[in-house]
Amino acid sequence: MISADTFLFVLASGVLLGGLYALMATGLAVVWTTLGVFNFAHGVFVALGAYIAWQVTQSVTGSVGYLLGAALSVVLMFGVGFVLHYVLVKPFERNANLVLLAVITTLAAASIIENGILLVWGARDKQIEPPISGTIGLMGAEISANDVMILIVALLALLVLAIFLRRTATGRAMRAVAQNREAAELMGLNVSRLYAMTIGLSAATAALAGVFIGSVRFISPTFGSDPLMKSLIVVILGGVARFTSPILAAFIVGIAESFSVYFLGLYWAPAVLFAMMIAVLLIKPEGLFGHRSKTL
Amino acid sequence: MKYAPPFHRTNGFLPVLVAFIALALIPLFLTETYARHTLILVFVYAILASNWDISLGLGGIVNFAHLAFFAIGLYSFGIFGKVLGIDPWIALLLSPLLAVAFAALLAIPILRLEGIYVILVTIAAAQLLLQIVVSQSDYTGGTSGMVLLPRLEIFGYKLSKDNRIGYYYLALALLTFSTFFLYKLQRSSLGRAIKALRDNKYYAIARGVSEGRLRLYTLCASALFPGLAGGFYGAYLRVASPDVFGLGFLTITLSILLLGGLSTIWGSLIAAFVITILAQFLGDYGAWRSIIIALVIIAVVVVYPGGLFAAVQEGWGAFNRFRTNARASWRRSRGADMRKAVMGAPDRLVETRHGKISVCESGQGDEAILFIHGNSSCKEVFRHQFAKFGKDHRVVAFDLPGHGVSPNADPEEDYSIEAYSEIACDIVEKLGLGKPVVFGWSLGGYVALEYAARGYPLTAVAICGTSPVGKFPEDMPRGYIATPHMELAGKRFHSPHEKANYAAHTIGMEKGAEPLVWQAVWRTDGLAREQAFSKLKTCNWPRQVRMLKEGKIPFAMINGPKDPFINHEYCRTFGYGNIWGGEPQNVAEAGHAPFLEDHETFDRMLREFLTWTKGPATAD
Repeated sequence: MISADTFLFVLASGVLLGGLYALMATGLAVVWTTLGVFNFAHGVFVALGAYIAWQVTQSVTGSVGYLLGAALSVVLMFGVGFVLHYVLVKPFERNANLVLLAVITTLAAASIIENGILLVWGARDKQIEPPISGTIGLMGAEISANDVMILIVALLALLVLAIFLRRTATGRAMRAVAQNREAAELMGLNVSRLYAMTIGLSAATAALAGVFIGSVRFISPTFGSDPLMKSLIVVILGGVARFTSPILAAFIVGIAESFSVYFLGLYWAPAVLFAMMIAVLLIKPEGLFGHRSKTL
Repeated sequence: MKYAPPFHRTNGFLPVLVAFIALALIPLFLTETYARHTLILVFVYAILASNWDISLGLGGIVNFAHLAFFAIGLYSFGIFGKVLGIDPWIALLLSPLLAVAFAALLAIPILRLEGIYVILVTIAAAQLLLQIVVSQSDYTGGTSGMVLLPRLEIFGYKLSKDNRIGYYYLALALLTFSTFFLYKLQRSSLGRAIKALRDNKYYAIARGVSEGRLRLYTLCASALFPGLAGGFYGAYLRVASPDVFGLGFLTITLSILLLGGLSTIWGSLIAAFVITILAQFLGDYGAWRSIIIALVIIAVVVVYPGGLFAAVQEGWGAFNRFRTNARASWRRSRGADMRKAVMGAPDRLVETRHGKISVCESGQGDEAILFIHGNSSCKEVFRHQFAKFGKDHRVVAFDLPGHGVSPNADPEEDYSIEAYSEIACDIVEKLGLGKPVVFGWSLGGYVALEYAARGYPLTAVAICGTSPVGKFPEDMPRGYIATPHMELAGKRFHSPHEKANYAAHTIGMEKGAEPLVWQAVWRTDGLAREQAFSKLKTCNWPRQVRMLKEGKIPFAMINGPKDPFINHEYCRTFGYGNIWGGEPQNVAEAGHAPFLEDHETFDRMLREFLTWTKGPATAD
C-alpha cells in the first residue's frame, strides 16, 4: 500500500507543515486568549512579513540577506501589529459587539494590506532564496535541509515566546491582562499597551512564518489566506487552554493534511480538515486539549 | 395585551412608499444598461445584507456561512437549469429550498455553540462547501465555474432585452417581497422570540422559548431570500463561479450590514446603495477601490458604531427637537392673545432651576391652587377651573418643560417627575403662593404626590387619573389597564395617527373640541415622554406611599369612571390615611380628564374638597 520511505517522507512533510502552522496558530491563539478577538488580518501579516523579507533579499544576497530580511521583517511586523491595535480594536474595547466589530475591522485591514501589497509589489509570484540547500537522509527518505532548519527555528521561536511569557515581567503582565483585565488594570498595568504588544508579538510570529513559507513556496499577495484558514482549524482543534495546545494540534493538522493530500488528493485535503474541525466542535467544543468547563 | 402597530400607520411607511415608487420609476429615466446593472446589484446586495440581519442582528447568531446560502441558490439554479435541464423558472423556485435545507443542516453543529465558535464553525462550513463545489467539477465546473446558465423568459420575451428592464423589475420585486417578509417576521411572535433569546437567553427559555428550535428557524428564515437571490443572480449573469465563497464578497456584504446598522432592516437597504454605488464608482481604480472601501468601513465602525441608520435616527430626533422648540417659541409670541382669551390672564416665563417655564396666573384671594397638567398636554386644559376658581382663589398653572409654550429643556436633567416637582416648588416660591392646594392630573398627579412627599409647602393635594404606585415597577401593571395607549405615553416619536389617537383618549373628546390641548401633543418634545417614563424607576415611590398612608396631608382623588387607563379597583383599595370622602371620588360619565369633560360636576367636587380641608375634618 505505501512503502516505508514514502510514509516517512509524507510524515516528515506533515511535521514541517505542523511546525509552520504551530508558529502561526500560536500567534493567533495569543491574541484570542488575551484580547478575546479573532484576528482575521493574521493571514496578511504572514504575506506582508514574507514580502518585507523578499525585498531585503533583493538588495542583500545570500544567507546574510535572508537573516537580515527575516530579522527586519519580524521587527517591522511587530510595529505594524502594535499600531494596528490602536486603530482596529481599541476604539470599541468596551462595546458589547466587540467580537463582531473586530471581525469586520480586521477583515477590512486584511483587505487594505493585501491590496497595498498588490500595489507595491505587483501580482507576480515571488520566492525567497532558501539560505541552506541540500538534503538530509533520514532512514532512506530524502528531506530538504532547509525544511529541517525551518522546523528547528520555528520550535525555538515558540520556546523563546513561551519563556518570554512565563519568565519576564512584561510577559507575565500580558498573561495577567489575559486572565483578568480589571484586576490587571487595578494593579497599574497599562492594558492598552500590553494588548498592542500582544498583537505585535502575534504579527512578529506571523512574519517569521511568512519568511519560512516564502522560502519553500511561492508568495503572492493573497497567499496568507490558506495558512490563516489552517491555523484557524488548528486553534479550534486544539483549544487554547495551554500554550502547548495549539502546537500539538498544529502537528496533528499538519500530518493529517499531508496524508490526506497523498491519499485523497489536493482538493479533498481541506475538506477533511474542516470536517475534522466540525467533528471536534460537536463533540468537544473547547478543543482536544481544552478543559471541560460546565455551564448552565 | 399585545401592542402591534399596523403597517400603514407608522412613521416609516411613507418614506418606504416614496422609495419604492422612485425605484419603480427610475428605469424610465435611466435607460443605460450599466446603470440598471448597478441597481440590480444593489438590490441583490440589499437582499443579502438585510436577510443576514435576521441571524446576525435579530438573533445574535454570528453566521458567517450566510453567503453560502446565496452560493447554494446560485449553484442549484445552475445544476437544475443547465445540468438537469429543468425549466429555468422552476429551477429559480427550487434554489431557495436547497438553501433552506442547508441552513437546517448548519443549525445542527452550532446548536450548542456560543460567540466566536459560531463564527469559526460557520466559516468552516462555508469552506467545506466550497471544497465540495470545487472538487465536483463534472457538475459545478470546478474552480472555473459554470457558464451559459439558462436565461429567464416570459412567453418568449427575454428579460435581458430592452437594456435588462425585465431583470430590473424582477430584482425589485424580490427586494420588495424580501423586505415585506423581514418586516412581518420582525413583528411576528417568532421575531419577538428570536429577539428575546438574544437579549435574555435564560429568561426567554424560562418563558417557553426553545433555543434549539428557534436557532433552526432563524437560520432557515435567513436563508430563504438569499437562496432565491442566488438563483436570480445565476439567471441574470448566467455564470456561477466559486468566487461567491470568497472573503471579498463576504467582507462587502458584511460591511453593508454593519454600515447600515444591526437589527434595522432599513439600515442595510440604505447602506447597500451607498456601498455598491461607491464600489461601482471606484471600479476603475483596481486595488485602490478595495482599499478605499475598507477604509470607509473602518472609519464608520470606529467613528459611528451604530451605522447609518443610527445617524438617520439621530438626525430625525434632532429635527424633531428643533421642530417642537421652534413651534413653542413661535406660539409664545404669536398665540399669546389667544391663550390670554382662553385663560383670562396672560402667561409669562419664570426662571426656575430647570430653565424657563411658562406660567399663567389669574384670580385673587388668600389661598392659591397650583394645577399641574399631564403628559403631552399643556396648562390650558385647566381653563374651566381658571374661570371658576379665579373668583376667590389665586389660580396658577404652568407648562412642564418640553410641553406647551415652555421651551425644550435638557433631557437628562429636566425631564423627570423629580425635576417637575422641583419646578413646581420654584414657582410657588417665586410667585409667593404660600401654601397652595396642589392639583395634579395624570403624570402631573405623580408630580403633585412627589411635591407633597418632599415636604414642599402645601395645604392639600388632589390628583386625577393617576394610580398611586407603592412598589415600582410591580404596581404599574396593577394600577393601570394595559392598553396600546400606555406604550404611546412613553414613545418618543408619534405618527400623526398615533398623535390624534393619544389626544382623543387623554381628553376624551373629538378633534377640534379643545384645539390648544390637541396641538399640545404635536408640540411636546418626544424626549420628554421618553425620559419621563424611563426615569420612573428613579423616583422615590415609598416616600410617596408613606405620605399617603400617614395621612398628615389632606388628600383627594377625583377620577372619571370611564377613565380607560387606571384600574379603579386598585385605586379604591390602596389604603389612604386621610382621603376626602373615605375613598376615591368619581365624576359620573367622565373619562381621563373629568375637569374638562364634565367641568361643572368636577368643580363642585373640588370646591367641596377645598372646604373640607379648611374645616376640622382632618382624621387626627
